[in-house]
Formats: sequence, C-alpha cells, structure tokens
Amino acid sequence: MKNKVLMGLAAITMVAFLSSCGKVPQVQIDATNAAIATAQTAEAAVYVPAELAAVQDSMKVIMADIEVQKSKLFKKFGPATLKLDATLAAANKVAADAAAKKAEVKNEVETTLTDIKAVIAENTELMKKAPRGKEGAAVLEQMKTEMATIEASVAEAQGLYDKGTYLDALNKVKAAKERAVGINTELKDAIAKVKGKSKPAAKK
Amino acid sequence: MLIFTALAVSIPLALLLLIRFTPSPPVSEMECARETLSKAVSNRADTYSKKLFTQAAIYYDSAMVNWKRENKRFLYFRDYEKVAFFAELSTKKAIQAGDNSITSTSTLKIKLKQKIETLNDLVSEINKLFTTYPLSSEIRNRISNGKMLLEEAEIAYKKGQYLQANRKMTDSEYLLTASYDNASTNLKNYFKSYSVWKNWADRTIIDSKKNRDYSIIIDKFSRKCFIYYNGSKKYEFVTELGKNWVGDKRSMGDKATPEGMYKVSKKFDKNKTKYYKALLLDYPNDEDIANFKSDIARGTLPPSAKIGGLIEIHGNGGKGIDWTEGCMALTDKEMDIVFKIAKVGTPVTIVGSLVDIQYIVNR
Repeated sequence: MKNKVLMGLAAITMVAFLSSCGKVPQVQIDATNAAIATAQTAEAAVYVPAELAAVQDSMKVIMADIEVQKSKLFKKFGPATLKLDATLAAANKVAADAAAKKAEVKNEVETTLTDIKAVIAENTELMKKAPRGKEGAAVLEQMKTEMATIEASVAEAQGLYDKGTYLDALNKVKAAKERAVGINTELKDAIAKVKGKSKPAAKK
Repeated sequence: MLIFTALAVSIPLALLLLIRFTPSPPVSEMECARETLSKAVSNRADTYSKKLFTQAAIYYDSAMVNWKRENKRFLYFRDYEKVAFFAELSTKKAIQAGDNSITSTSTLKIKLKQKIETLNDLVSEINKLFTTYPLSSEIRNRISNGKMLLEEAEIAYKKGQYLQANRKMTDSEYLLTASYDNASTNLKNYFKSYSVWKNWADRTIIDSKKNRDYSIIIDKFSRKCFIYYNGSKKYEFVTELGKNWVGDKRSMGDKATPEGMYKVSKKFDKNKTKYYKALLLDYPNDEDIANFKSDIARGTLPPSAKIGGLIEIHGNGGKGIDWTEGCMALTDKEMDIVFKIAKVGTPVTIVGSLVDIQYIVNR
C-alpha cells in the first residue's frame, strides 16, 4: 500500500519536473540576437551577405525549434541551447568577417586612389609631350575634358571613402582608373608613334 | 487506499489524454516557409523582388508571432490554424519572390548586356564623328560624364550588381544620347550647304584647268588646304582655322572662318605681316555683304554689328589647334610654297567640307 502511494507521488513529481525543467534559453537567445545585430551594424549585409543570411536562417530554425518545444508538454531546450551557442559563435564570426572584408575593400580603395593619382599625374606630364599636329590637339582637348571628369570622379570616390561607403567608392575609383589608364595608353602610343617617325630610316 | 489508487491511475491517464488531444503546431509548414524564404534570399529576391519578398517575410513573422501567442495558452486551448495559414502564405509569396527574382535578374542581365553594347557603339560613333568637331564644352563634359558612368555601370554589371548597373546605365544613356542628338543636329546643320560647297569646289578645279593656273581650296571640316594646278592636286597641307570654325562667318569678331569663293587681293611678305607671310583674301565678297545686310535687317545680327575683314592665309601655323581669328594658318615652310605659287587674283575657295556627311558617318 505504502509503495503504491509513493509510486503515485513519484509519478506526479516526475511529471511536474519534466514539464517545468525546460526553460527557454532566453539569455542565449538575447546574446545571439545581439551578436546578429552587431554583425548587421558591421555592414555584414553589404560585405558578407551570404554569411549573414545563413546565420539569420539558423536563428529562424532555432526559434522554430524553441516554439516546437514550447508546444510540448515535456519541454526540452537542450539542443536549441547548443544550436544557439553555435549560432552565437557564427554571428560573431560574421561580424569579424564583415569587418575584415570592409578593411580589405578600404585598403583596395586606398591603393586604387593612390594608383590613380599617380596615373593622373603621369597623364598630365604626357599631355605636355603629346603630338599636337593634325588632329592631335583636338584629341588632346577631348582628353583634357576626360581627365577633368576622371579627377571629378576621383574626388567623388574620395568623398564616398570618407563617408565609409567603400564598395561604392571602389566601383567609382576603379572606373576612373580604367579610363585614366586608357588615356595613358593612348598618350604613350601617340608619343611612341611620333618618336618612331622621327627616327632616320635604316639604309638598305 | 482507494483514493490513492484512483489518483495513481487517473493522473497518468489524464496526462495521456491531454497529450493525445493537444493540438499540434504546424511544424512542417513552418519549416517549409523558412526554407522557401532562405531559398528566395539565395536567389536574391530580397533585392530583385523586394515587395514580394518583404510580404513573405512579414507573413513568416506573423506565423511566428501567432505560434508564440498560442504557446502561451493552456495546451488544450491552443489553436495553430493561423500559424499554418500565415506559414502557407509566406511559402507562397516566397516562391513567387524567388521565381520573380530569377526572371527579373535574368531579364535585367540580358537588357544590361545589350545596353552596354549599344552604348559602347554610341561612344565609338561619338568618338568617330566628334573628336575633332568643336562641340561646346557643356556637350563635351556631358559626353565625358556619360562615358564615365558607362564604365561604372560595366564594373557594377561584372560584379553582378545589376540594379546599380541599371541606374548608372540609365544616367549614362541619357547623357550620351542627348549629347549625340545635339551634336548630330549641329553636324547636320553644318552640312546643309554641302551641295553649294561641292559646286564651288568643282568650279574652282575646272577654272584651274581652264586657266592652266593655281587655285586654292580650303576644306574646313578636314582642316586641309589643297593646291590645284591645271585641274590637278599638287599639294595638300594641314591648316588651322578660327577658334569658332563651324558655320559661316557672319560678323566681325565671331572668330569664324568664312565660306565662299574668294581671290587673293594682296600679298604680304615677311616684314609686312606678323604671321610670317600672308595672302589677304577679298572677304567680304558681294554675297557676304548681302548676307550680312539681310542678317541685320532680320535682326539676327545687332545693328551695331560689323562685317569684319582681313581674312588671310598666313604662316605661324603648326600649333595643332584652331587658334586664329578666322584666318587659315599654315606652317611657315608650307606658307613659303603657297606664297610662291599664289598671286593677286589666285582663287581661294573655302568650303565647309569636300565630302558629304554620309561619307563622314560611314568612314
């Protein structure tokens, strides 16, 4: 008789224990959401969008898992907590990767800005040496206009760089560099042609 | 005793019944919705089908909110119907967003590729036609900016940033097309007198043959000075013109080089001109005077305007730019030749072009 009573009480205690021991890992949820927010602030959507999307998706899976557990009589949040720990680490990595990518793009903009300034300076010097005869001067006039556009574009890229919008700055400065290098090649070709012409012909 | 036994049996039984009849959440529907959303993101629906994607995301969030709300209720009273409803809606919208994104991206990609080709062709055409044509600085700047935007668009396109590429391309297209149209109209207007020019040049060459003498023809568009003798071309020099050489000279100070059939009226040797040597032309001729008077009468020139004069073929050329006040400049070496063969009365015909616009466009 006594045993039966004890068994009944044990069963009630077990039920009570099982249904109340699973607590939502709110601390981990908040921490992971904060880490995702930090990644977003680090412009992960711009620099590592696929990584950010993966972490956000993982978080969705976890939140659905948690709701599944909350729907049950016997809740079990252990696996979700483990997943949250992994996602928190992944979100931190996304933030770090975004920062690293941003720094990489920033460096690329800086390098390209330095490069293009050198090309512009070289072009200015080459313009002085460029042939002016026939249609040369008119072409040079056009090149001057294009150089002015390039310089304006470089200034715009510098402005974007200063604002921290490095990807836009990179696109702009790369386009400007392409054009500046194109003009540089044209000028060098034109100068080389004139030099070639002025050389005395070899005796045959 | 009986009470305890009853409790021991009824409690687990009640629990079993509770579990049996507790409504189940739509787990598979939610999973399907999430997976579809994730797939839509990988298809860049968040960028290329923003509206549908946002709707799908909102429906998913609504499903989650409802799920959370239902979970707060007592097990037996939970109702997950709305959760399933929103999950299904989210799935539907996410599928649409994904498909729409794939279609839009591929259509945009094709459109951009074609546009890049078209605009690059337009740039080539502009370079071919207008490199040496004196376009206004405003038009030149617009063309230059258009080219730069095209370059930026191409870079964005190569990186798969199609929306950005499209924006740049649209701006580039506007600048290049408007500039091209403007410049083309200008060029077509310039060539309106081509038949007259051709007639003048033919007559000049015929006269050179008939008189067995020298004639000079200046082609402003190609900036060439041709010397004919006995109907045959003897020399061809590059000439530099007035800064504002497009169009006929209309009045004094317009820095335009006149068009017409003139004659050398005076020769200035080395010490008589500041331009090495010079051949003064009989500009304005009767036609120039008539045109000038007509312009004054019609009010297209102010009454205070003067017709100008002192149009010469002179030396000090070879600068490579159009720098004169309306004269034609040759290098001193070339001027020696022209000065030697020309005499007072030598015909000098100045034309806008010896070839028609079609030739220039197709060359």
